[in-house]
Amino acid sequence: MKVNLFLQAPYRYLPDDFESKYESVCSIPYSLVTRDGMYSSIRDFMDELMLGARSGFDGVAITEHGQSSYDMIPNPDLISSALAYMTEAEGLDVAIYPMGRSLGKAREPLRAAEEYAMIDVMSGGRLVAGLTVGLSYDANINNGVPPIEVRPRFDENLELVLRAWREQEPFAWNGRYSQYPMVNMWPRPLQENVPTWITGIGNPRTMRMCFDRGFGFNYLSWFGAKLTGKRIFDRMWEQADEAGVARNPYRIGFLQTVAVSETDERAEIEYGRHAEYAFRKGLGSIPIEKLGLPGAIDINGVKALIKDPGDFGLYHRMRTATFHDLVDAGVVVVGSPDTVAEQLLDFCREYGIGNLHAMLGFGSLPRHLVMKNIQLFAEEVLPRLRTLWTETDHQHHWWPRRLGGTPTSYTTATKAGANTR
Amino acid sequence: MSTPTITEQTIDVWGGRLSITVKIAGAGTPLLYLHPAAGLAWDPFLSHLASRYTVYAPEFPGTSEGNPYAIHTIDTLSDMVLAYEELIRALGLDRPVVVGQSFGGMLAAELAAAFPALPDKLILLDPIGLWSEAAPTANWIATPPEQLPALLFHDPSAPAAQAMLAPSDDIEQQQAAAAAMVWAFGCTGKFAWPIPDRGLRHRLHRITAPTLIVWGRDDRLVSAIYAEQFHNLITDSTVTIIENCGHIPQVEKLDETRETVDKFLL
Repeated sequence: MKVNLFLQAPYRYLPDDFESKYESVCSIPYSLVTRDGMYSSIRDFMDELMLGARSGFDGVAITEHGQSSYDMIPNPDLISSALAYMTEAEGLDVAIYPMGRSLGKAREPLRAAEEYAMIDVMSGGRLVAGLTVGLSYDANINNGVPPIEVRPRFDENLELVLRAWREQEPFAWNGRYSQYPMVNMWPRPLQENVPTWITGIGNPRTMRMCFDRGFGFNYLSWFGAKLTGKRIFDRMWEQADEAGVARNPYRIGFLQTVAVSETDERAEIEYGRHAEYAFRKGLGSIPIEKLGLPGAIDINGVKALIKDPGDFGLYHRMRTATFHDLVDAGVVVVGSPDTVAEQLLDFCREYGIGNLHAMLGFGSLPRHLVMKNIQLFAEEVLPRLRTLWTETDHQHHWWPRRLGGTPTSYTTATKAGANTR
Repeated sequence: MSTPTITEQTIDVWGGRLSITVKIAGAGTPLLYLHPAAGLAWDPFLSHLASRYTVYAPEFPGTSEGNPYAIHTIDTLSDMVLAYEELIRALGLDRPVVVGQSFGGMLAAELAAAFPALPDKLILLDPIGLWSEAAPTANWIATPPEQLPALLFHDPSAPAAQAMLAPSDDIEQQQAAAAAMVWAFGCTGKFAWPIPDRGLRHRLHRITAPTLIVWGRDDRLVSAIYAEQFHNLITDSTVTIIENCGHIPQVEKLDETRETVDKFLL
């Protein structure tokens, strides 16, 4: 199994009553921020990612959120490029994994293609390219894209990005959302087949596209793995069966918040209030209408969600969730290395997960505790996870060749029967 | 006012690629009614109009039951205006009265500006389509559903508002209506998001039809200050402001709205 360190860049000094007064995205007043607080939040975040890169994780992963206090990374490619050079200079064989460059909001899709190509070159071919449709609040409110346009924009931009990476000759692009008289990217990615992942929250259509076209699919479980795991992963593998692809665990990525300490008791003392901070003031403080604006979710998805909002697990109670609520729902896996390893192994075995993105920093967790969490996980949990699936015949086709993967090319939209225009 | 018999026609426009469903009722000269962002609801105001006119009420592409993806056929508001003009020709309507409410008001104004000879008369009920930083149009698409009544009505507790807001007793119908409204906001939002200003200000001078602008004094979605702006930009226009009234005068103040509309149409 591949195990990546995943981190967000939360602002760590929000007031105690934040969740009762404010929303965590779009309208959050910047007056709450201090210069020192912002500098240390971002600086520590970078140092923590580098610790992960030096500690033996297979990859370092981040994602993209604009106008957000719980993850202050408007463009993950800036962070990734810094990591690409630093790790290359130190000779660290670690994947650089920006997980969610949002193509549903991108008005300059060629920029996204160029940035990823540049990161692949800077890292010597260690890019794992994560792309995502994009969250409503970000694509629509922060970036002004009409909600109903987000999916078709994503579809079109994805085709442009993939083609721009591999095309050997300049070409013209006459899209619905962007037009270029000549696309001729410099540089192109070093990797012949850039491992490409789509990140989502369980939309069957997105999963099906990944299986049809040979992309990896990341499920970011924020809402409690114990509540949502079975329904999402059962759906995922059913989609794989329908698409006629093997149940290869390496095509699935799963994100889980984890907190490790010497003992279960100590883990609760050290991490409890910081986990509450993370979910109450972060995800829990995003209003539901900003997660899915009218038009952004397909009509059939809207009908399904109205009838059964189960995909959202603990979300509806997150703003007041206690540490125990979070643990009971599986939002956070916490405890001694044994406790954590067993729970993660059980989950990954049961659902056939071959890529774990361990979120080891969260909320107000101070630098020294994030560092401790990363180190303990790397030393005592990671080695036990890594051997999962090694006894099977599955090949990892969604990982850079330089890092031991055997990446294959993906199917074009036309061949997969997708309708992009 | 009793509800008249409503029939339905589906018309193919846009080279056969777009089907638009039209609800039709009444008798007499034609009147085109363009509904607001939430979709078409046949209300007593429409029944009143149908007592003197043949009312044609098209459902905006995407909002017709069973045809949700029609919205993806057309990308720009100017093309949508052309498609509506095709629809009017296909229906054989000769110089109809054109009435539009809110989002439908914007569409009606765009249609009248693009085709000045098309409407006999134009009635705009609290239309969107202009933008002033001093009185920004509220973002109804991003407003939580529980806050919508206060945005739409001067007095959400009054019987007329309650009748419109009252959910069905049947849970499945309730869910279907909620999903339909969400999707209708999405479809119309394609041409109103993020800011419902597509440059209408620069085109309103082209309208030549006599125009009635009706506005609720207490409209919290799109301020009544816009009534004056529409009036200044449309040459042959008059304004009626209705007191103690929010964004939907034909529901919240049906009698006053009916009276002012009748007076204008006579």
